[in-house]
Amino acid sequence: MSAAVTLEFLLPLELLRSGDWADVAEVQGEPAWVGRLAELGIRAGSRVRMLRHGSPCLLQVGDARLSLRGEWAMQILVRPAAGPQPPEEPA
Amino acid sequence: MHRGDPSLPADPPRRLTVALVGNPNTGKTTLFNALSGMRQRVGNYPGVTVETKKGRLQIAGRMFELIDLPGTYSLAPRSPDEMLAVDVILGQQVGEARPDVVVSIVDASNLERNLYLTTQLLELGVPVVLALNMIDIAEGQGLRIDVDRLSRQLGLPVVAIQANKGRGLEQLRAAIAATALAGAGGRPRPETPAEPTVHGDGALPPCPTFPPAFEQEVEALHQRLGPSVPRFLVRRLLLDVGGHIEKRWTDRQSPNGAAVSRDELAAARQRLAEAGCPVPAVEARTRYGWIRAALAGCVVRPAQRPVSWTDRIDRVLTHPLWGTLVFAAVMFLIFQSIFYWARPLMDLIDAGRTWLTDLVIASWERPGPLRSLVTDGILAGVGSVLIFLPQIMILFLFIAMLEDCGYMARAAFLMDKLMSRCGLSGKSFIPMLSSLACAVPGIMATRVIENRRDRLATVLVAPLMSCSARLPVYVLMIGAFLTEGHPPWVPGLTMFTMYLIGLVTAPVMALLLKRTLLRGETPVFVLEMPLYKWPSLRTVLRRMTDAAWAFVYRAGTIILACMIVVWALLYFPTTDAEGRRYEERIARLERLDPQTPEVAAEVRRLHGEWKARSLLGRVGRAIEPVVRPLGWDWRLGMAALASFPAREVVVGTLGIIYDVGDVDPGEIAETPDVRQTELGQALLAAEWDGQPGRKVFTVPVALSVMVFFALCCQCASTLATIYRETRHWFWPAFTFTYMTLLAYVGAWGVYQVGSWWLGT
Repeated sequence: MSAAVTLEFLLPLELLRSGDWADVAEVQGEPAWVGRLAELGIRAGSRVRMLRHGSPCLLQVGDARLSLRGEWAMQILVRPAAGPQPPEEPA
Repeated sequence: MHRGDPSLPADPPRRLTVALVGNPNTGKTTLFNALSGMRQRVGNYPGVTVETKKGRLQIAGRMFELIDLPGTYSLAPRSPDEMLAVDVILGQQVGEARPDVVVSIVDASNLERNLYLTTQLLELGVPVVLALNMIDIAEGQGLRIDVDRLSRQLGLPVVAIQANKGRGLEQLRAAIAATALAGAGGRPRPETPAEPTVHGDGALPPCPTFPPAFEQEVEALHQRLGPSVPRFLVRRLLLDVGGHIEKRWTDRQSPNGAAVSRDELAAARQRLAEAGCPVPAVEARTRYGWIRAALAGCVVRPAQRPVSWTDRIDRVLTHPLWGTLVFAAVMFLIFQSIFYWARPLMDLIDAGRTWLTDLVIASWERPGPLRSLVTDGILAGVGSVLIFLPQIMILFLFIAMLEDCGYMARAAFLMDKLMSRCGLSGKSFIPMLSSLACAVPGIMATRVIENRRDRLATVLVAPLMSCSARLPVYVLMIGAFLTEGHPPWVPGLTMFTMYLIGLVTAPVMALLLKRTLLRGETPVFVLEMPLYKWPSLRTVLRRMTDAAWAFVYRAGTIILACMIVVWALLYFPTTDAEGRRYEERIARLERLDPQTPEVAAEVRRLHGEWKARSLLGRVGRAIEPVVRPLGWDWRLGMAALASFPAREVVVGTLGIIYDVGDVDPGEIAETPDVRQTELGQALLAAEWDGQPGRKVFTVPVALSVMVFFALCCQCASTLATIYRETRHWFWPAFTFTYMTLLAYVGAWGVYQVGSWWLGT
């Protein structure tokens, strides 16, 4: 139909349902904010799990649980990971 | 004189300094308490609102100074508060020696992210000892960490510890001492080792190395800024877009006067983006890349992450319904306890003050300024400081327990949605709620808010919440003027409305402040939920005593000074129009027979006349035109002025000025029928001076008084606490001004509308 079909399936983190796993594809927005999230372990390539969706949402990042407001969660684009719980594998 | 240990340098051994750095929730404070024992002091720095704690640490007979730096996720400073840690570690903080060792405390179950901060420490060139804390929890999750291998690969001493149980602390002490003494030979430490040293299993550089393109830009900037500027800061200048260093060096000038313009920085960042190392991604990539390499083979994870206790508890406590119910129950318990548990202790303090006052009066028969200063100034002042301690300590008992066990972050998570509507975050909820009991502990509780603007906004609006000191004023006015001749729902509704005024005004004011005075970029609301654990008794007791001490020491002295000034204004002049001293006249009357009603009435009349002639009474008369639009006479104006130290004082002052003697506000608050009390009778009968038959107190006047006291900041303790927490006179002055204006306008509006409505 259009070029969009061939694009990767990315969606904002906010749209994940509780219990979903995903890989972060891109963190958009102000550099200061992108840097702050990277310090907390949220950056392209990291695996996250939505523990409780909504605003603020609750995320599992590595072995930490982080809470994030909706307007910020919109700026994180993720690629949903299929299946239940793939263990995080260091690259 | 003895000769020094031959292994030490020949110079007299200087005091070595150890700094403690780590992410929030890594058990840093617990480790600090365990290492330094009970003797600690708080370090304050100008322009910074965060505190550092300092203690002593003795290892093998040698004293070390231990500094606990504020918890942080990275050394990328965005504010003066965050800059503090960088300045201390670089040795640029005035009055602090550069640390000889930095202990980087990390959460063993979340190594990768925690090491991010460690890599920044390594880049600073300071000797680092890595403390793997909460090793038991990591092992409980099935993680296996090869500490020796980790130490080899990181090139650092690594010690696994359990700070709360004291496990591993001996090895940690030994590692600190060995590292400090190895570095204390006087050889200047390079900030970043120039040559990557080969160690461990491979050729991993001792700290992450940025791509050459990046280092070239750093080098060019470093040349401009001069060699005295640490290279770490030059990297931060380039990496932190809009960060503290960028603001400091582009707005004003760098330490050497060589300014860098924003355009130059933008151009350099653009070149980096084109060279494939965009800012800030290059930093995360470089650091995490190095961390992965350093961790390779050191950590074995279970194939399936086990469901931990924290996961299970969170299923309930972060649940929108169950979690909120639990939260409401916890808040109710806290609220109830600061209202009711504190009461007996507060009564005890009050009784102690009364006993001491009576003792002074009994043993010091001759009345005079000195005796009055001791009883009505100093003892009353000290009593009014100590009276806050039960509430402060009980509130901090809860806060410390909730924080130490990990619940506080969940509470903030649950309340975030509600609080975000007034521009604040979930962390502002508990301080605001506590302020319903008393603003002083409430304002102190804002310490849990990391964001400076949010914290300030909360501090500035917390006094608007209707605290328990307003209650006597409400009860007096409602009891005297809004009960008889009114439908039975009027008193309850009026009381409810008074509380509602604060509950509505505070969030609106917070929003207003966040949009104007405290405007700034929205803080990134990322909140970490720490693992649940049992709160440590030691940490909890420490927080309680720290809070109490901070209040008594800093705020207490200011409160006392205020009390003494107001005492003096009410005491002088001491003579009547004929030059006779009031104290002598009163003493003479009391010697007659104080039980006779006529004598007692004369004594009270003299007290009233004395206060009316006092300096404050004269000011009250002078400002009568100002309070006239509120429907007040000069007596009310003077009573409001006299209540500057504390709102409830207005009740006692009204008692004296209406010739019924000093009235205890606590008794008024508990009286079933205010109209039957002497003060109630006096207020009902009060008439305007020179206008016989015209009553002072009408319903609109009573409402105007209540609204004024609901919104004003007649509370020296609150103002002193605001000063103590913000470290600047501007903020208490601002709070007092805006609240007084609000109170005036509110009281004026209520009086004018009420008078028009009732046609009086």
